[in-house]
Amino acid sequence: MTRCKSVRATRFGLIVLFASAFICVLVVRDLLVSAKESVPRVQLHTDNLGPREIEDLTSKSVPRDYALAWQTLEQALHENRPGLLDGYFTGLAKQDLTQRVNGQIKSGLRTRYQDGGHKLEAIFYSPAGEVMQLRDQAKLDVEVLDGDKVVYQELLNVEYTVMMTPGADRWLVRELQASTTTKP
Amino acid sequence: MRAAFTVPIALMTMLAGAAEIHAPAQITAGNPITIQTSGSGDATFYLIGQTEASKRKVQAGADIKVDSLELERAGIYTAILCASDGCTSANFVVNPAAPNRLSFLVHPSRVPVDSPNRISAVAVVQDNFHNIVLKPEPVKFSVLPQDGKEVSATRQSENGVAWVRLSSAKKEGPARLGAAIGHANEVRVVRQVAAEACNLRIKASRTKKDFLIETDPVKDCSGNSVPDGTVVSFTKVDSAGKANVDVPIKRGVAKVELPVQGRAKITVASGVVTGNELEIGGGQ
Repeated sequence: MTRCKSVRATRFGLIVLFASAFICVLVVRDLLVSAKESVPRVQLHTDNLGPREIEDLTSKSVPRDYALAWQTLEQALHENRPGLLDGYFTGLAKQDLTQRVNGQIKSGLRTRYQDGGHKLEAIFYSPAGEVMQLRDQAKLDVEVLDGDKVVYQELLNVEYTVMMTPGADRWLVRELQASTTTKP
Repeated sequence: MRAAFTVPIALMTMLAGAAEIHAPAQITAGNPITIQTSGSGDATFYLIGQTEASKRKVQAGADIKVDSLELERAGIYTAILCASDGCTSANFVVNPAAPNRLSFLVHPSRVPVDSPNRISAVAVVQDNFHNIVLKPEPVKFSVLPQDGKEVSATRQSENGVAWVRLSSAKKEGPARLGAAIGHANEVRVVRQVAAEACNLRIKASRTKKDFLIETDPVKDCSGNSVPDGTVVSFTKVDSAGKANVDVPIKRGVAKVELPVQGRAKITVASGVVTGNELEIGGGQ
């Protein structure tokens, strides 16, 4: 009778152990997925900014919105969904990127980014606060896929000149111009 | 996973004396280029850039011509050649062409007269294809008041941006602000309007039943007429209590008819400026 009870307890213990392991695997998988879709890391430096002084709220919203802009850019280029660019891009930047996504759709291409982070330096904030110019040092691992075949993969350090303008409730990327690239 | 792709591609390229691609390192926006390739056989050429993602069939070993229309936007471009023995690539930079456009932002569009450094003018230097020209370039800013002489100053752009701060004139009226570079000459108009009212004064006269309260012509401290539509507030305190009436200025003055019970105190204000006080009633 006692032996039977101990066998049952062992079985129950094993079931609990396996169930816990299964839950752990699921949690880890979900964490990996969410990390993949996470917002890129952006550090804003404003030491050399002028002529207008940056406001507290702006110093928080600019890096947040720039990171979200990159997240949507990467998603739009990977999934070929130009509509995603509406949220954080405007003007020429939106026009250029939309054209690029449409080109990818036409050619059956996709671009996948592994974003290694952005060092964002604010260099000009207009006296009236209607435009901010920034320099971004981005670390990007870029893959170009033709269908499922990887035709290009490279780890790059790219410098971008960025123009951002305030929208109704966020800062929007108006210009995104890459100027130099180096291999790390 | 990526190494698994990259290593075989590189090995195959080395072993097979494989296709190679040679693009110029730097070019100027809006110019066609020829990309040289080596190898042989059918291949696929990809061009990835700021606005570009294209693919076409080519022959490895033949030159590939890239049209100027594909290279108008400045940025980093990647040329990729995939042949039977693998893929090879080359990055190149498209630099902005000569400056010939300006994106000119002037703020605000209406400004009170005699306000120091209140107008901000920002010019972003661009080439014909709207690329920001990052190297320093001289931008000429000019101000042309309505009845005045043009004043101009040149500022060197930094990272593609030149800017000035200006004070508004003492006299109301439009001022034309310009910025010029190359063939570009952008002009914006700023309306200089009277500042807050100054020496606000009211007078009263009897009508049949009530009192007519009227301001003198409302002007700012520089003598400019405060624009019609600006609100003037009249406040009456009499035995019936306190009453406020907001009246817009029409043809330079604001007026209102007020019923008065017994004696009354009338005050006037516009914005943060208060005027004189009147005591009326009791047959006056």
